Amino acid sequence: MTEKFQFDSKLKKNLFIAMGLGLVGLVLAFVLYPHNSHSRFWTNILVNSYYFTGIGIFGLFFVAAHQLGYGGWIVLVRRVIMSMSGFVFVGAPLLLLIALLTWGNVHNIYDHWLHVIKHPESLPESMTTKAVFFNLTFWTARIAVYAILWMLFARIITKYFGNITDKRSYKISKLIAAMWIVVFAVSESFVSWDMIMSIDPHWYSTLFGWYNFASYGCGALSFAILLTIYLKSKGYLAQVNENHIHDLGVFLFGFSIFWTYLWFSQYMLQWYANIPEDTMYWVKRAGTGFHTSMFVSLAINFVLPLLVIIKRGAKRNFKTISFVSVMIIIGHHIDFCNMVMYEPNVISTGHGEHGHHALNSNEATALYAENTEAVKEPAAATEHAATDAVTAKPEVKAAESAHVEAHGHEHGSTAKSYAGFGLVEILIFIGFTGVFLYMFFNELSKHPLVNEQDPYFKESQRHHI
Amino acid sequence: MSNKFLIGMWDHEEVFLHAAKHLTHDGVEIHETLTPFPVHGLEHALGYRETRLHTAGFLYGITGTTMALLLMGWIMSVNYPIVFGGKPFFALPSFIPITFELTVLFSAVGMVLTYCTRNKLFPGYVPRIYDPRTTDDRFAFVFDIEGKSEADVAKLRTICESNGAVEIKTKEFKEGDGL
Repeated sequence: MTEKFQFDSKLKKNLFIAMGLGLVGLVLAFVLYPHNSHSRFWTNILVNSYYFTGIGIFGLFFVAAHQLGYGGWIVLVRRVIMSMSGFVFVGAPLLLLIALLTWGNVHNIYDHWLHVIKHPESLPESMTTKAVFFNLTFWTARIAVYAILWMLFARIITKYFGNITDKRSYKISKLIAAMWIVVFAVSESFVSWDMIMSIDPHWYSTLFGWYNFASYGCGALSFAILLTIYLKSKGYLAQVNENHIHDLGVFLFGFSIFWTYLWFSQYMLQWYANIPEDTMYWVKRAGTGFHTSMFVSLAINFVLPLLVIIKRGAKRNFKTISFVSVMIIIGHHIDFCNMVMYEPNVISTGHGEHGHHALNSNEATALYAENTEAVKEPAAATEHAATDAVTAKPEVKAAESAHVEAHGHEHGSTAKSYAGFGLVEILIFIGFTGVFLYMFFNELSKHPLVNEQDPYFKESQRHHI
Repeated sequence: MSNKFLIGMWDHEEVFLHAAKHLTHDGVEIHETLTPFPVHGLEHALGYRETRLHTAGFLYGITGTTMALLLMGWIMSVNYPIVFGGKPFFALPSFIPITFELTVLFSAVGMVLTYCTRNKLFPGYVPRIYDPRTTDDRFAFVFDIEGKSEADVAKLRTICESNGAVEIKTKEFKEGDGL
């Protein structure tokens, strides 16, 4: 029995409708937000292709890790998880396209460091050590290498891991898995620095690669759960039962907590150390709408799984786990928007020399002060509060906010942010989900769903926890 | 408290598990089940309810969270406020690691103590040893036969025998033997 998935026209039609909505979203973003070289349009493409490519390569990582760690239970759902890499053949070229378009100044996502490398005399000391990395040729070449490696391994793994029949092919699969884990670990960290962290080249976080990895993990496991449940509801994968979903749910729970740990570690260390370069990242996001989305994403990605799927029964209940999965997919999209959207979507008119250069510390603080009446968030205020709050009096708080406001007016609030989370973001996200699912089902329909010759097939069949 | 027991012993895990299913199905009341190691699926076969230990753990954890936040919040912002690095007195992010630690500590210690108390593993408790071999190579069901008629006991014996018990014996404890 080699059951195959039939990609029927009804499903295709639904996915085309989703893609159509995405196209509408892209057109709307292009027309409605022409500011700053259509940066809202480009940042949306970056966020979505980055997120879904990450989900795809995480699927490959997940099966490879299980192959190396003798994780036999995964055999029944392995094809589902592997097939998510179908999107890599769309997403990786899109990321490469974004990198190539940087050459023609089509978009302004990486203008902050492009400006710096074009004017070496303005290179701040904190960036001299990073100069090697901010080299347009090297940078583009790196992204091309990741894209090629990902597509290559997606081909190899989806082809090979479903055809393990004997000892020899099993050993080769372990070799492939080991190679892919090394490639994945390095390329995943680097791509997060190159494509996301470099948007603000002054800011850095040493756990950023891990942080993005955890986000991919949550997204990929959520999709794996949802798609497995969907396929079961269509009558496929009859042997998959709540034990397999339970295990995926345990991973989803674990990765959500892991993500929170990294999010908090990043936030708290930068809040505590109070180095202007670091706190900038948080100041910029505060008071521009992303302050709210930061807490919304924390609520969805941490509090929801913590309270809802901690219980054994919840992980085995298809409805509960599906609901949490959908929410987590949305939550991590919001989190990625939060990472990417701010910087390229800000127009600063104060410095006529560069029409749309990125904000410096004072401008961001001014923007923040303009957008918030009183300073409520300590993280934002500390930059100035550090010098002020030497007296332990209740008036300190008032003094802080007065100080920040004074700063704001002193430097003139010339920055305007077009960053936001609105209809276009939602439409484009739906569109990319449509493309992702189309590529997934397309990949899935090419191979038998379950390889019954796999040495671990019986273990997966009898999986019971 | 009853002092008279019938002990049926098995020497194989699978047979024992089967016997558990049959006995539960027939509605035989089992006083105690003893195995040398955890038998997979035994709790389902015996129809045990899901443990409520994790609910207790959650409550202990919440207590830990509250305690940590109240204690630190009170000390740092009411009792002895000191400015550290220009941070507010109630600097929530810096409290989170300790809050996390106390949550884990409270839930872990609380669950261990609850578990031990519930299973009568506290100091000074003298357990009743039905048969020492249940810690080695024997699986046993213990039936309470205090006040039961000869016929009922004989019936229990036949049920055990027909389900593959290798040894059946009765044991009587003196009043005050164990707790």
